[in-house]
Amino acid sequence: MKLGFFYIDLGTILFTLCNTLILFLGLKHFLFKPVQKILTERQAAVDQTLQDAEDARSRAEAAETEYTEKLAVAKEESAAMLRNATRKAQQRSDEIVAQAKAEAAGILQQNRDELDRERRRAESELRSEVSGLAVLVAEKVVEREINQADHVRLIDEFIDSVGDVQ
Amino acid sequence: MSSMAMMMLPKVLTGPEELSVEGPAVICSFNVFGLTINFTETVVLEWIVMAIILGVSIFLTRNLKVKAVSKRQVIAEMAVEAITNLVRDTMGKRWLWFTPYIATVFCFSIFGSLISLLGVRAVTSDFSVPLTWAAITFILITWTKIRYGGVRGYLKGFADPIPVMLPINILSEVATPTAMALRHFGNIAGGSIIMGLVYYGLASASRMLHMHGAWLTVGIPAVLSLYFDLFSDFMQAFIFIMLTMVFISNAGPAEDEAA
Repeated sequence: MKLGFFYIDLGTILFTLCNTLILFLGLKHFLFKPVQKILTERQAAVDQTLQDAEDARSRAEAAETEYTEKLAVAKEESAAMLRNATRKAQQRSDEIVAQAKAEAAGILQQNRDELDRERRRAESELRSEVSGLAVLVAEKVVEREINQADHVRLIDEFIDSVGDVQ
Repeated sequence: MSSMAMMMLPKVLTGPEELSVEGPAVICSFNVFGLTINFTETVVLEWIVMAIILGVSIFLTRNLKVKAVSKRQVIAEMAVEAITNLVRDTMGKRWLWFTPYIATVFCFSIFGSLISLLGVRAVTSDFSVPLTWAAITFILITWTKIRYGGVRGYLKGFADPIPVMLPINILSEVATPTAMALRHFGNIAGGSIIMGLVYYGLASASRMLHMHGAWLTVGIPAVLSLYFDLFSDFMQAFIFIMLTMVFISNAGPAEDEAA
């Protein structure tokens, strides 16, 4: 038995309704659910990757800022150290030069004093020799013994007066 | 002599000798509360179509991965994304949950029509089938109107803009699913009748030309079949789901109002 070509059949409608519902549930369960799950997971993975990249970038930026700061501080420190060292060296060299100058001046002074002393000693030697010589000359001239002490005093007075005149 | 030789050929080689336009065969009937429930050829074909669709779905979604996807998975993802995007673009985001139903009707319709290529009746050339889907669409339209406008709003809508419009509004309400069902049925059934006529005509011509077998039916109908089977089947499925989506989403308020 065949139905009419254009015929509304209650049984077919009910079966089709059930079949459509079954196919709907089947497609939902076997196609949409697994695929959507995978798509969601992939989206999550992509989001995670982007988040990680963003984190890494911000960390790198923070590190860069930190290093830049540290570098600036280090540069500042080294410049300060250099300035300090230069200043100290300058100071030290000044000190050394000053010390050397003082030493040189001391040596010079010492030499001058020595020279003075030598001169004075030579002077006094010369004076005593001259006075002895004068007494000798006078003895010869006077042909007599004169009081040595008196004459030495007289001659010294003479020499002093001559020295004064000179 | 030639007619004697033809008698001995199997029927598939002689082509159709008569043209009949009939509905699906009734396999058995039940009597439930005085109503005759027919179990027809159409329902068996529906089961075959469902088995094909679900089989393909299970095959495509086997062993899904997040990374390093197989070709099968790419096809499954593309199909799901394509239908999801279509629903989103046509109906809006709040109707996304509706996607599997649209996919169901689309697949059921297109495979139900294309099964006629195997030489059996198309599922959709049984008027009861598109009528069922149109009825579901009608119920969903009504449900959406009541959901967003309330029962009073829904009933008031029939007297809009003036009460005189009541009969016309009722008519247009009923016309929506009727037209959808008739359009789908008419195109597929009409196509199958035209193809039947073409096969019958070419088989008759072969006989008249004393050909040993219906050789004119080889190749020539394939060109027409491209339109009446492949193109028309796809178009009707697509038109049906588009109309379903548009009518249902139009039954509710616009996207931004509902948010």
